[in-house]
Amino acid sequence: MPASPEASEASTPKVAEQKLQSIAAKITVRNLNFYYGKAKALNDISLEIPERRVTAFIGPSGCGKSTLLRTFNRMFELYQDQRAEGEVIMDGENILHSKKNIALIRSKIGMVFQKPTPFPMSIYDNIAFGIRLYERLSRAEMDARVEGCLRQAALWDEVKDKLDQSGTSLSGGQQQRLCIARTIAVKPEVLLLDEPCSALDPISTAKVEEMIYQLKSEYTVVIVTHNMQQAARASDYTAFMYMGEVVEFGVTHKIFTAPVKSRTEDYITGRFG
Amino acid sequence: MISLRAKRRATNIAASALMYAATFVGLFFLAWILWTTIKLGISAMHWDLFLKDTPAPGDGGYGLRNAFVGSLILMGIALVIGVPVGIMAGTWLAEYGGRSRSADLVRFINDIMLSAPSIEIGLFTYAIIVDPSGHFSAIAGSVALSILMIPIIVRTTDEMLKLVGGEMREAAIALGAPMWTVITKVTWKAARAGMLTGILISLARISGETAPMLFTALNNQYYSTNLGRPIANLPVVIFQFAMSPYQNWQQMAWAGAFIAIVFILLISVSSRLILQRRVNKV
Repeated sequence: MPASPEASEASTPKVAEQKLQSIAAKITVRNLNFYYGKAKALNDISLEIPERRVTAFIGPSGCGKSTLLRTFNRMFELYQDQRAEGEVIMDGENILHSKKNIALIRSKIGMVFQKPTPFPMSIYDNIAFGIRLYERLSRAEMDARVEGCLRQAALWDEVKDKLDQSGTSLSGGQQQRLCIARTIAVKPEVLLLDEPCSALDPISTAKVEEMIYQLKSEYTVVIVTHNMQQAARASDYTAFMYMGEVVEFGVTHKIFTAPVKSRTEDYITGRFG
Repeated sequence: MISLRAKRRATNIAASALMYAATFVGLFFLAWILWTTIKLGISAMHWDLFLKDTPAPGDGGYGLRNAFVGSLILMGIALVIGVPVGIMAGTWLAEYGGRSRSADLVRFINDIMLSAPSIEIGLFTYAIIVDPSGHFSAIAGSVALSILMIPIIVRTTDEMLKLVGGEMREAAIALGAPMWTVITKVTWKAARAGMLTGILISLARISGETAPMLFTALNNQYYSTNLGRPIANLPVVIFQFAMSPYQNWQQMAWAGAFIAIVFILLISVSSRLILQRRVNKV
């Protein structure tokens, strides 16, 4: 089972490799290349995302972390000049060339964005929106589902008396937790978080990180973050990316205390980026 | 020797003075027009305007009921035709066309149509509806008005939808929503204040159109709601009455003009309130 191509060179990552081998991979990326028009943004990426763990993508601006994340649910297809070649395999099938309805794939892979984007409707309807796409529930069942999601997002106590107020009336941190609740409402298996705390204050950030910690028992989480301390705090595995390639991948603890590649060490110690 | 500073100050004062003068000139004439209309219009107001129909020449009667009703019918049907077409076209431009060649072409043609002389639209509608059918009709009038409305609605819908951030769309799509659901349940909802304002603006525009009516709906001295026949409408009635030698007709023309201005004022205030509410909510 291939991990990062360079990892086979050094001896220490073999331990990490073995650790990964004992955990199932939820998503396997193989020889992934990504293009914005003629410019190549991702270069021959091969990686495994472990199941029911938090994996962080770190790296300097423009290294391709968000790009890689967005190939997992084919968000790039919205834009004409973006294309991906290679394999992104989940549940035995290459997502990139799947014949299945893209909506079904996207319902299994949820995404939360940097900027909180509550829909212009009530808090209740925000959560119900996703559920209504796939299921027909009675009022009581829907109420229960909405409450469940808001509890998981640690938002229930704050909004239970104002479920019919607009989603935009909440604070930034609450809005982001609403977006996360909305995403888990459709019962995905994977959660992709693209810098979810960048726009939030430290207290909201702590709440979201706590939530991620609770969620990982049920979901495979991949988080892109600019904040190295956050990656060290919140993730089990970390992939360090640079200029469109995965430089190093392994257990978070190892990456941050004993990185193999000098470039990884330079980034982590703040010499660049 | 005048210092650079003094020269700049002088230029600044001159430019400011010109600016104020231009504003004053514009506002002066606007105020004069409004004042005249309000003064002559209010003095000509009477309940009969809403209760009785337009009198025959020399009759001495007083009434504009058929004109009001006719205008409302014409605008109502124009809305029914123009709003769906305008919104659908605007949605296509913003959501599907984007910056493609065909979208740019459509926008270009739309902008030309925005400034097309309304009399041309009237003549066009005459050629395609009135001539083949053999008579002037309310439906022809509505079609002409809807052709005038559509470019405005297309433009405002396009602009308002473009203002809705891509992140909201992406969030809805990431949940697995199909494009049409994203548009109707999320994007339209987010842009609805602006889109509604666009519709109101187009309504204000067509409420006073006279030239196209001359070739389509014409006019009707009697009360009629028959869509296949000429129908009375306020702009043409004002036109006819203002140019006549009859005292009561001239007074009614001023009353009609006053009511038309009040109508447009109500529309402008409503659209402003709607947008204001939206801004405060966010």
